[in-house]
Amino acid sequence: MVKKVQALVIGAGPAGLCGSIAIAENGVEVLVVDEGLVPGGQLPKQTHKFFGHEGFFASVRGFEIGEKLYNDAVNLGVKFLMKTTVSGIYEDVIVLYDRENERIYEINADYVLIATGASERFISFKKNYLPGVYGAGAVQTLMNQYRVLPGNDFLIVGAGNIGLIVAYQLLQAGANVKAIVEASNKVGGYLVHANKVKRMGVPILLRHTIVEAIGEERVRGAVISEVDDSFNPIKGTEKELAVDTICLAVGLQPSIELAAQAGAEIKYIPELGGYVPIRDENMKTTVDNVYIAGDLASIEEASTAMIEGYIAGYNIAQKITGLDLSENISKMKKELEEFRRGPFSGKVRKGLKKFGVEFPEGGFRTEPQKDEGPAGKLRVKIECPQNIPCNPCETSCPTGAIDVGGNINGLPYVDYDKCIGCGVCVMKCPGLAIFLVQELSDYSIVGIPYEFELPEKGEKVLLLDRNGEIVGEGEIEKIVRNSKGKTHIVYLKVPKGLEDNVRHFVRHEEKEEEIVCRCEEITRSEIEKAIEEGYTDFEELRRYLRISMGPCGGRVCRLQTLSIISLKTGIPISELESGRFRPPSIPIPFKAILKGDEKDEI
Amino acid sequence: MKYKVCIIGGGIIGTAIAYFLGKLGENSVAIFEKRYLSSGATGRCGGGIRQQWSTKSNVRLAMRSVEFFKKFKEEVGMDIEYRQGGYLLLSYSEEEARQFEKNVEMQREEGLDVEILSPRMVSKRYPYINTDGLILATFCPTDGHANPHKATFGYANAAKKMGIDIYTHTEVNGIEVKNGKICGIHTSKGYFECDIVVNAAGAWSKEVGMMAGVQLPTESYRHQIFVTEPLEYFFPFMAISFSGNFYMRQALHGQFIMGQGDKDEKPGINENVTFRFEKEMARKMTKIFPFLENVRILRHWSGEYNMSPDAQPILGKSDKIDNFYYAIGFSGHGFMLAPAVGEAIAELIVFGKTIHSDISYLNTERFKKGIVQEKNVV
Repeated sequence: MVKKVQALVIGAGPAGLCGSIAIAENGVEVLVVDEGLVPGGQLPKQTHKFFGHEGFFASVRGFEIGEKLYNDAVNLGVKFLMKTTVSGIYEDVIVLYDRENERIYEINADYVLIATGASERFISFKKNYLPGVYGAGAVQTLMNQYRVLPGNDFLIVGAGNIGLIVAYQLLQAGANVKAIVEASNKVGGYLVHANKVKRMGVPILLRHTIVEAIGEERVRGAVISEVDDSFNPIKGTEKELAVDTICLAVGLQPSIELAAQAGAEIKYIPELGGYVPIRDENMKTTVDNVYIAGDLASIEEASTAMIEGYIAGYNIAQKITGLDLSENISKMKKELEEFRRGPFSGKVRKGLKKFGVEFPEGGFRTEPQKDEGPAGKLRVKIECPQNIPCNPCETSCPTGAIDVGGNINGLPYVDYDKCIGCGVCVMKCPGLAIFLVQELSDYSIVGIPYEFELPEKGEKVLLLDRNGEIVGEGEIEKIVRNSKGKTHIVYLKVPKGLEDNVRHFVRHEEKEEEIVCRCEEITRSEIEKAIEEGYTDFEELRRYLRISMGPCGGRVCRLQTLSIISLKTGIPISELESGRFRPPSIPIPFKAILKGDEKDEI
Repeated sequence: MKYKVCIIGGGIIGTAIAYFLGKLGENSVAIFEKRYLSSGATGRCGGGIRQQWSTKSNVRLAMRSVEFFKKFKEEVGMDIEYRQGGYLLLSYSEEEARQFEKNVEMQREEGLDVEILSPRMVSKRYPYINTDGLILATFCPTDGHANPHKATFGYANAAKKMGIDIYTHTEVNGIEVKNGKICGIHTSKGYFECDIVVNAAGAWSKEVGMMAGVQLPTESYRHQIFVTEPLEYFFPFMAISFSGNFYMRQALHGQFIMGQGDKDEKPGINENVTFRFEKEMARKMTKIFPFLENVRILRHWSGEYNMSPDAQPILGKSDKIDNFYYAIGFSGHGFMLAPAVGEAIAELIVFGKTIHSDISYLNTERFKKGIVQEKNVV
């Protein structure tokens, strides 16, 4: 029996949760389906504080946001089916596969909001099949959800926000991060995230990549190498690192399989993360009753995913109920406009423009504050140079001493007459980018945001600068514990003149073959050889080599294969055919389909 | 640019014709394929190679094709995973069972080795098949299956080596006819003069006919098919039933490929899939093959059968335009007939008549005389 729902939301991440809330707020019946064990998508793995403003949970840790949104949705009567994968959007029906009970359900929905997020990209290098090579998402799941550390010594590949955040979380969990390698010539993620790991001594090696994993049974090391302008390894620059785990954080690609199956037109827009469904400013795809939100629409932030979820949700609710929700919708669009004005949204703005959705840029303060405040006074130093859409420093300051200039993307300024050095902003700042300094007659005080096991008052420590280099010895002057937010402040006594250098400390006692398609074990050289033989279409390669014919359906290898084709043939990926996205999106046992016949209650 | 022969369609039929033309020394030949090689029905089919047909013409063409499939690797130069694991035809109706017995008589006359099996014999030989409701089965050990993509690529590569050109991503959008003769084709890559055009366009055969002003009696119908995760290889034959409406085989890689026909399909090109198909298949197939219950379905796709009125191919010269040739309307069994058809069409073009296979009764003329239906089609 086919069950009918008014609105089906696929994915219980930030976009899906907010979408379901927006729909349910208006009295519409909503079913949310998600394949995870717990709702929240990637949120439950995120132990760091989020950027943004209070309306969208700035300074709250990711897992707490997920719990809050889920509870809001449940209180509004939203129904959740967890551990359930939408295995296909077919011509006749949408099929849900309940993995726990190994059965399917058939659904018809008046409206569908697809918020399936993204999947990780992979890169191939020699012996990348060895145990000990992980995607960043897997490392986060093991470490932050299951409290299992997959190794002791890590190499992280990729200095985007995910690589930087995982590196920091690994350090918090007690692992060593030997290096972060990044093929491009700049850190892709926020500098404040990079600074958090740099000041703890983790080198970020730009223009470097991994070329080989070392080991027989499992990873025992990694060979890294410098790369040239075309990202090819430069011979003779190889270095070996003794690591037992290699964590790949080389980016995300939108999970568009279901949207494509639903008939939504897709387009290759690299600025948005690869293939994305075409959609309008209301998040409607080219199919009238199919909406999208979040990372599958464009690889971005949880904050923008939430706003897109609301926009899609209100639009769906409006269509179903006939109510006029234009006020809610335009409020959210304004929010999104604010979030997307900054430099980090440049790519997204450019990508969206390609199908006619335009977002304004600029209109915020970009000049950093020059005034460093009166020496001798305990006061804050904000090291936030990048126009991140974020303002908890402003909204948390009890004396109104900090402002971001009227636009959330603006750089913060401190009014040193008003700053009382209380440290509330230091604890709130999601980038851990605010410090306290005071120059005294014999020494100086530096207060740093601290999220590790706390030292003892009076303890002697080694002082580290912004790059993690030891610059001297200091002493713990005072500790202000923050039991709620968990970002504590440690005040250090540092030699005079070092107050502008010291940003962290250490306690004294601390100190082969590249497989592209992993299901079918198809190597890069096999693909390259086939391309040379004339198999230059993804579908031809699929048929010839069995690429992406395995259980993952091409999630891991499709884009990699297309980029190999593109490299070898000189045809841009946007002009290549992506190949079909076929259901089921995960393997479905026959018996699940048979069980689906038995009864139709969800 | 001029070619003697322009072949429209880069599936198994088009590439086979090109290959055999090359073998006969004719290499002023080009294939025009609007997408990529094997992108139509060939790359979507089950890959079965069967000789047990209800009409003599199909039996003969299939037997001739088997001769070629056996030597494919040596002669064409590609391992196409060909296995002669046999075809087990299962009948669930009395009427069909009687027809099977007649068919077997005819097939044996044609020199084919076919056994008739009782349900008990089936049970004994294949204990993993549930024979409930089975009336009778026939088995031909020299039937088999192969990888249709690789066969297409094999023919295409061999043809290229002989100097034949293949234009992929090149759509034919017009056929130039003057005084009842074709003089060239318009494509997305320009105009090509030619002496002969072969319509091997599969699902699009009717549209290609229209380009030359010829009304062809073919219609395309969607057929769905899916594949499971791989199991250890133990099921070497194709199991098929017309009355039971299914076919299933295990590929060498281990995965089971299966499908069924749908009488409710409307003519037209439709590459989507329905969940109803998976449900109907799951119910039916787990009953007959209980071991499937815990096996997982991996990928589900569809392709077109280009149906002719009698479910037999339309081969040979057009009766309207002298230099227009047809190899169309294969009705779901083009792959298995391709080598013999490729040879016959190539001979017809080069010598003006076929040498090894008689295809004269498969021209369009036959529909004027009344239709003898091929019944052995899923």
